[in-house]
Amino acid sequence: MRLKIVTVLAVVMAVIGIHAHQTIAGEIQQQLVQESTIEQVIKRGVLRVGMSTFVPWAMKDKTGKLIGFEIDVAQQLGKDMGVTVEFIPTKWAGIIPSLLTGKFDVIIGGMSIRPDRNLKVNFSIPYDYAGQAIVANKKIAAGFNRLEQFNQPDVTIAARLGSTAADAANQFMPKAQKKFFDDEAQVIQEVLNGRAHAAVASAPLPAFQAIKYADQLFLPVQGTFTKEPIGFALRKGDFDTLNYFDNWIRVADAKGWLAERKHYWFETRDWENLIQ
Amino acid sequence: MVNVKPKITIVDLVLGALIVAFGFYIIYKVSAGLSYHWNWNAIPQYFFRYDSESGNWVPNILVEGFLTTIRLSFWATLFATFIGVVMGLFRVSQSLFKRLLGGTYVELIRNLPPLVLIFIFYFFVSNQILPVLGVEEFIRTRGEKIQALMTFLFAQPSLFSAFISALITLSIFEGAYITEIVRAGIQSIEKGQWEAADALGLSKWQRMRLVILPQAIQRILPPLAGQFISTIKDSSIVSVISIQELTFQGMELMSTTYFTFEIWITITGMYLILTLTCSLSIAKLETALRKSTV
Repeated sequence: MRLKIVTVLAVVMAVIGIHAHQTIAGEIQQQLVQESTIEQVIKRGVLRVGMSTFVPWAMKDKTGKLIGFEIDVAQQLGKDMGVTVEFIPTKWAGIIPSLLTGKFDVIIGGMSIRPDRNLKVNFSIPYDYAGQAIVANKKIAAGFNRLEQFNQPDVTIAARLGSTAADAANQFMPKAQKKFFDDEAQVIQEVLNGRAHAAVASAPLPAFQAIKYADQLFLPVQGTFTKEPIGFALRKGDFDTLNYFDNWIRVADAKGWLAERKHYWFETRDWENLIQ
Repeated sequence: MVNVKPKITIVDLVLGALIVAFGFYIIYKVSAGLSYHWNWNAIPQYFFRYDSESGNWVPNILVEGFLTTIRLSFWATLFATFIGVVMGLFRVSQSLFKRLLGGTYVELIRNLPPLVLIFIFYFFVSNQILPVLGVEEFIRTRGEKIQALMTFLFAQPSLFSAFISALITLSIFEGAYITEIVRAGIQSIEKGQWEAADALGLSKWQRMRLVILPQAIQRILPPLAGQFISTIKDSSIVSVISIQELTFQGMELMSTTYFTFEIWITITGMYLILTLTCSLSIAKLETALRKSTV
């Protein structure tokens, strides 16, 4: 009899225990959903997007309004989510810490998916591919037409600090001297002034600059020499938001919308008179 | 003082000519050695633009940055003065605790590079403080009128919390220098003044308020005003945490248009307008003070 009571008690306890356990799991799941970025954004009605100026990904037009490929992507994303988009222009070097400390919800800023970055943030599937190209000074880099020729100790390469262009410069021209700057404008200016032989930057910027300063700059190597997937970056541990972004990109890609926008910003110069 | 009218001698003329020639030489060297397409015509459109929607001229990128710099400097000066006066009084207080508090504050802040301080505050401190205070929630849930007022006084809702963290950082940074100015001003008052005030039977607070501070303020004001100019200049540091003030806006514009030199020169001019105006007002103030004391 005594044994029976003990058994019954044990069973009851176990059932209660399992039940409590299930309730806790359910609550945690609820809580995760509630706290996901996507829920917060919809509640707030505002998607805060971190970006940095990179022509033609994102730039300010004559009226101070942001335009560019990334801006179109973010605006469309916001529209599909039914929220307004707020852009937070941020210095490139500080963009990941700003995301991690919650200054904005997502980086849509032409950020290349890189394993070392991926240790700190999550990336969506790629919505775009970028590549690095090189533009050189006609005078001091005359006759250079292969990438290896830039890999010399007496050659100086300029690139933007903390960008994949800087990585590409280190990878492809390890022997060359490097100069890193905060902005692409300074990078190009360094080459124009003849203090650097060449600049490495994401296409199509080098090609655009070679056209603009046709008598000073040239493209020693046509096309790009790297291929980098570009994704949205978001804080870790937020599965719901990641899933939404991934599928949004799949849909936008399938509709051909991404390709159409990319063509407008990267292969035409129709937007040129918007900025100057 | 004997009033001698300055005479221009031949040496002055030669020296003047040499300086002007040197200046032109530098300009020549820059324009010859620098392969740069100057394009000044593009710059004016970034000051003001015609808004076809409202049919008005509205500030464009550069002027907006300029206004943000003014807002930031104004509020930072105000808060820094408050912090500085309180901490300055702490520094000369009789209580050991207050002296230690003031001393720690000044030594900690003054011995750190402003850039480091700004990053520390932006990423760590303000990140912990502002969400607790619910600043962002508060501003977003206000009505349109209050939002418009806040935009006019501080920054638009989307940039509000960043602006506040920049403001706090800048105030704390400048406050340390103002603390020292206040402390030095109070300590420069002769011991006899304290003793005389004591002899009159004034309380501790009365001595400070009625005898010491009125004299100290006259000595504090000129360096304090100089510190205000420093605040305007230092406000450009917060461009690294993406506050959309003049330097940041200029740099954004440069990365879009590549008019690097035109924009830097324009920004230089805009800062000079601001700081020189302050400088001249301070000179006026100093003259007025001297007249009132003599």
